[in-house]
Amino acid sequence: MAEVILKNLTKRWGEFVAVDGQSLEISDREFLVLLGPSGCGKTTTMRMIAGLEEPTEGEVWIGDRMVNDDLPKDRDVAMVFQNYGLYPHMTTFENIAYPLRVRGIPSSDIEPRVRRAAEQVELTRFLDRRPKALSGGQRQRVALARAIVRTPKVFLMDEPLSNLDAKLRVTMRAELKHLSRELKVTTVYVTHDQIEAMTLADRVAVMKDGVIQQLGSPDEIYNDPANLFVAGFIGSPAMNLITGAIQGGQFVTTGGTQLVPVGGDDRNEVVLGVRADDIRVSEAGKGNIDVPIYAFENTGEATLLTVQWGRQRVIAKGDRYLRKEQDDMIGIALNPEHLYLFDPTSGSRIRT
Amino acid sequence: MRDSTLKYLLVLPAIVVVFATAIWPLIESLRLSFTVGRLSRPGSLEQYLGFENYIWAFLYEPAFWNSVWVTAIYTVLTVGLTTVLSLGLALLLAPGGRFRSGVQTLLILPFAMSPALIGVSFRFMFNPEFGLFDAVFGALIPPLADVSWLVDPVLAFAVCVMADVWGWIPFLTLVLIGGLASVPQDTIEAAQVDGASGWRVFRDVTLPQLAPVLAVVVILKSIFSLKTFDQIFMLTNGGPGTATQTLSHYIYFNGMKYGQIGYAASVAWLMVIPMIFLTYAYAKFVFRKE
Repeated sequence: MAEVILKNLTKRWGEFVAVDGQSLEISDREFLVLLGPSGCGKTTTMRMIAGLEEPTEGEVWIGDRMVNDDLPKDRDVAMVFQNYGLYPHMTTFENIAYPLRVRGIPSSDIEPRVRRAAEQVELTRFLDRRPKALSGGQRQRVALARAIVRTPKVFLMDEPLSNLDAKLRVTMRAELKHLSRELKVTTVYVTHDQIEAMTLADRVAVMKDGVIQQLGSPDEIYNDPANLFVAGFIGSPAMNLITGAIQGGQFVTTGGTQLVPVGGDDRNEVVLGVRADDIRVSEAGKGNIDVPIYAFENTGEATLLTVQWGRQRVIAKGDRYLRKEQDDMIGIALNPEHLYLFDPTSGSRIRT
Repeated sequence: MRDSTLKYLLVLPAIVVVFATAIWPLIESLRLSFTVGRLSRPGSLEQYLGFENYIWAFLYEPAFWNSVWVTAIYTVLTVGLTTVLSLGLALLLAPGGRFRSGVQTLLILPFAMSPALIGVSFRFMFNPEFGLFDAVFGALIPPLADVSWLVDPVLAFAVCVMADVWGWIPFLTLVLIGGLASVPQDTIEAAQVDGASGWRVFRDVTLPQLAPVLAVVVILKSIFSLKTFDQIFMLTNGGPGTATQTLSHYIYFNGMKYGQIGYAASVAWLMVIPMIFLTYAYAKFVFRKE
């Protein structure tokens, strides 16, 4: 068990900067998720912690040791790969036992430890099978068991659920969460799936272009996004980002004259962020403004109303029993408690 | 015309060609192996004497056993050396290896040379008066300075092995580079993170996954080593004495030089036996089911 500290970590391939002077402190037993779109440097960051990639600049610390010059085998980390990285010529048992075997642990100790790890991920029935004879979810469990069979200082998980089908992903997510709370080992988890990040993490680091955009609890990044990128990336449906201006404390969309009170100084260019569930849907005439419905979608658990607001489209979440038709007029009201203003050029948050 | 008839008609030309160029000569050589078969005596090609030729080879021909022995050692040495060296080179040159570069493609050049040409060049290289290798080896290892490579039976054999290994390494290296590229990188990385040293990663993860390709390399090279002829013909012509006389060379000499075509055919058919085993193993590996 140990904390992981990154100091000004940079990775460049020629001109391309994958990770740009990143500093991050991950405390002991913390579950930290690196979240971002593909190519944002999250996997590279993790691979530098594992020692599979050499940093161009900066330092990686695990516990109280600078591990830059340590080989992966000497870092005492365990990693779950996106494609699992199972040894195809070994059985499930041998796969799980491998980290113990290379450490010269006597066979008499290996057996019970492998069995216990297999039990934790419910694999005991498949110990004699080769990876080829296992389903995707089972392979995933083997990879997990191989990581937890010993107690490493750090767990590294590189999009471990992304190759599973949607249903299985939800189940495995819960199992992973359960397991991580049980094991209490520092974990770095890479994903581009914001739901995984929200549900699993103690803290989330949202990354873009090799730079952490925001570091905070799932609550913070969802309810208090630091900038336009985080606001647009987190949440499904994505946060509505409406361009306009502030005139006398009122928000005016670029295309229309419709007004919403937001307060603050006058500004010519501003982006208003509002989540679909912070837009209250009502009958025409009863909201801030009346807008026509561009599309009405029923997801079963809720309804999604895409409305035409001036030249822009905005998504609002409605009651699951609401029924409307395309082109119907409805009233919408924005919850003033949960409006976010951003500077469109710098992308940074404007706090009023 | 019915489809089933048509399909046989369509493959007929191919079958005719294969029959004329491969099957018929094979059958004819099998027939000849049971005859007196002397080119100098007309009519002897139809003079049958049962298994006499085979018995003769086994019981009364030390030269036959000598060439079997030469071929066996030659095969073991060339297969062993080429495989090990090619694997080493492939590991260095494979993607992610230490010395990958554009030079890789140039390595194929030795393989593009005909074996006969390799034989001739090596003969020149080891010429005691103006041979490059002869001079280089002499300068590096003084005791070898006055050695006449191709006159000493053991050294001549060594030169044959060297020439063959030199000619084959590039191709097999390329095959193994391809094999290494198909070993999933994440299994190697998983092993590194799991705590394996470089050697153990290779032994526990890379090598087992490379085994099918390696098997094909060994079998393929064995087949080619067993039937080596042209290179040795040009390099030592089986000499000094019969020190480097492989089976193919022995067959050629008996058949073409001494005109004992029946006897040569029988020895050739004896060579078929190990070949069949190797070909079967090769086919099994190449066309193996997942």
